[in-house]
Amino acid sequence: MRGAVRPRAIARTALACLAALFLTACPFVPLRPAESPSLHLHELADEGDATRRASLRLVLQGLDADMRSDVRRAQGLYARALQVDSSNPYAYLALARHHVAQSDPQRAFDHLVRARDLLDAYELMSPRVEVHLVGLRGNVLQLEGREVEAQALLVRAARGAPDVWSDATLSASELR
Amino acid sequence: MLCGAFVAGFALAGWVVELDRIVRDRFEGAVFGVPSRVYSAPTIVYPGLDWKRLDLRGILARLGYREVGRAGAVPPGQYAWDAHRVRVHLRAFEHPSRPEPARDVVLRLSGSQIASIASMPSGRELGAVLLEPEPLGAYYGPSREQRELVRLDEVPPHLVDAVLAVEDQRFASHPGIDLRRIAGAMLANLQAGSIRQGGSTLTQQLVKNFFLTPERTFRRKLQEALMALIVEARYDKAQILESYLNEIYLGQRGSTAIHGFGEAAHLYFGKSARELTVAESALLAAIIQSPNGISPYRDPERATRRRDLVLDLMRDQGRLSETGHAEAREEPLRLASVTPDAGDARYFLDLLQRQLAETYAAPELAQEGLRIYSTLDRRLQTLAARALEEGIAAIERRLPRLAEAPADRRLQGCLVAMRPQTGELLALVGGRDYRVSQFDRCTQARRQSGSVFKPFVFIAALEPVGGAPRITLASRLDDAPLSVSTPSGPWRPRNYDGEYHDVVPVREALERSFNVATARLAQEIGIRRVADVARRLGIESPLPLVPSLALGTAELAPVEVARAYATIASGGVRPRMQTVEDLVDRAGEVVERRRLGFERVLDPGTAYLATSLLEGVANRGTAAGVRSGGLRGPIGAKTGTTDEERDLWFVGFTPDLVAVVWVGFDEPRSVGVPSSVGALPIWRHFVEGATGGVVRGRFPRPPLIERVAIHPATGARALAGCPERRDEYFLRGTLPDEVCPSGPRGSSEFLRWLRRRL
Repeated sequence: MRGAVRPRAIARTALACLAALFLTACPFVPLRPAESPSLHLHELADEGDATRRASLRLVLQGLDADMRSDVRRAQGLYARALQVDSSNPYAYLALARHHVAQSDPQRAFDHLVRARDLLDAYELMSPRVEVHLVGLRGNVLQLEGREVEAQALLVRAARGAPDVWSDATLSASELR
Repeated sequence: MLCGAFVAGFALAGWVVELDRIVRDRFEGAVFGVPSRVYSAPTIVYPGLDWKRLDLRGILARLGYREVGRAGAVPPGQYAWDAHRVRVHLRAFEHPSRPEPARDVVLRLSGSQIASIASMPSGRELGAVLLEPEPLGAYYGPSREQRELVRLDEVPPHLVDAVLAVEDQRFASHPGIDLRRIAGAMLANLQAGSIRQGGSTLTQQLVKNFFLTPERTFRRKLQEALMALIVEARYDKAQILESYLNEIYLGQRGSTAIHGFGEAAHLYFGKSARELTVAESALLAAIIQSPNGISPYRDPERATRRRDLVLDLMRDQGRLSETGHAEAREEPLRLASVTPDAGDARYFLDLLQRQLAETYAAPELAQEGLRIYSTLDRRLQTLAARALEEGIAAIERRLPRLAEAPADRRLQGCLVAMRPQTGELLALVGGRDYRVSQFDRCTQARRQSGSVFKPFVFIAALEPVGGAPRITLASRLDDAPLSVSTPSGPWRPRNYDGEYHDVVPVREALERSFNVATARLAQEIGIRRVADVARRLGIESPLPLVPSLALGTAELAPVEVARAYATIASGGVRPRMQTVEDLVDRAGEVVERRRLGFERVLDPGTAYLATSLLEGVANRGTAAGVRSGGLRGPIGAKTGTTDEERDLWFVGFTPDLVAVVWVGFDEPRSVGVPSSVGALPIWRHFVEGATGGVVRGRFPRPPLIERVAIHPATGARALAGCPERRDEYFLRGTLPDEVCPSGPRGSSEFLRWLRRRL
């Protein structure tokens, strides 16, 4: 009889220990972060075929260069990304952001339209990427001096993705 | 007597002053004119790429990379290739704004694919690496001299030692002329009974090359000596030595003279001067005496013997240790593979020159030493040149009479390729042989466009302007006889087969290239509207507003046709044609940068419908031959054959590439075959080579396009019970009202009834 009780006690003790260990370790277990309401391009690094992936990696390198304020290198890398895959909508999106940062509204707008068309056509449009299109369009209007229209769009972007657009700008690191 | 001496002295002084002026003008101005060079776009290598199709070995060879046997680490500019991996130490790419560092990488191969790329020694995976742009050519002046300038502090000391050891061992101490050397040379020549040895110092050689003719007269020798003394008096030894290293003639590449050690290092060893080994430096110093006579390409054994002699001199003069001497003598002669002259890119070089003419005149391009980074894809250029050459030869084999014409009146052709989304010119072959004719038929010629113009008519009819479009892809067109009155009398178009086809579906009308149906459609929508569409798509040539415009009577340049089809392929966005990425001047500054530019000129829906129509032409119509070699994937295409088969056109595009082929005679006359036989195979061979037989991607369908089943015979919307059906594309809001099977009531009424119930 006593021999039968002992294994159960051992099992209970083991379970208790495991539970204690779990509770202790819980704070250190990395939880999957909640999905940001806006798109970060590094999330797409493994999507698409080899050509699209290579192109996207060059876009990410371009954003890295933009983060270092290495404007010309960034432009070169975006050009390389389009050389690999000229239909990559994210390359045009990054270029639109780049030209907004360079205060070049015309080029920014052209690239923004291109990005939107390709996202639409490839059925890649989602609220997470659309929020960037809305915000960047607001930035373009701002650069053109159309402040009232710009604010309407920037408020919309900030509501959609406050983590990124609350300051009404999209930095290279935020897009990355 | 005294007076005579005075006059002579005065004349000599005047002469010296004049020589001094000449020396100063040369040394204090731009010492060297450096031809501007043109480079291809860089090659981007990434996992998933087919290295065989890329011709990775060929690229490495053209860039002067040297294959070595060992599998471990390799120095810059070398690679080791085994069955499953390539270890290559990529050279740095020097560019003011987009430099690339030197990289030691391993490419793991799986079959014909690159499986991964790792940076060594860390093993870190890389997404992509860039191979430096390939030189395509240069703009030379009349002297056709090519040089790459080097600074004295850039070249390895052993190169200077090798040159001084063999050419002027007392350079550091003499005043421009070396009396001991002259005496020694005179003695040697007297003993030999002929001129065997020269007594010229480096400074004298430099003076001779800079200012004097090669004649051997006393006056010229005196002038050389005086000028050498002036140069030494005015400039320091380092300046003189640097000028010498950049000036000296070191061989020939075709008709181009190679000057200076910078250029020679590339020619003989495929590397920069700073990377030269002791043995390589000794070889270059060895050939100064007679670059062509001692050429290592022509006579490697003689060149090696002479190199070893230079190494011996270096050792004897204390410029090289015994160990270094022994190692250098052991080094085998490893020359760079001779890179073919980029002859097939010369039409492209001419186009660039015309485009740059506003900023840089021809003499400036020959002197300014610009580095021009172009958009040309060297691989596609080679494929295009080969496809055109073989395609025209095939026509001549089929029709031997064509081959009998003299060289300047033979059948001609051209091919231009562009990236539709960005407008980058990727390949341009303006004729079958640049040596025979420099006229570029893709950018300088305008020829009747024939049926390649027809899609512009269909686009004008498909485009909703101020309401519903004139047609949808389900519409049917009237192909019955047509007569249009014109100021020069009635115009009666005929079909290629001589038949009329009553009523034909829109797709069939374009797929079989029916003239009458197209001409009638153009009449209905108006020629002005057709011309407007052509203009918006990118056609710049004059467009006569006559009924026959619809059938391609306008004379167009192939390059503008390429741009117009690029606009269709990129969803209605017209790209600005790009040939140059940027220009870097001699000082290393970016002086000009071309940027992407595009404009939406057609709504994406209409562009998609046009693309779909042209896909039909490639899949079922007159261009179906593009698939005969097994080419798979999305392709849109159109043939064009003008009256009496004088001009053969073929335009085809994939999501990433648009290419136009034209074949004909410079003075128009019948070729004797239609486009599908003459021009289409050239396009097919080019694209098969470019894509490896499988076209990547797809033409993206914009959201405002609906795909709906129709009854093919009537164009009515197919419902359940319709005996025959196929899917068709429509702009939203343009679905046919008619249905199949038609209900007891009128079909429109039935549809309304159906909608009420859905």
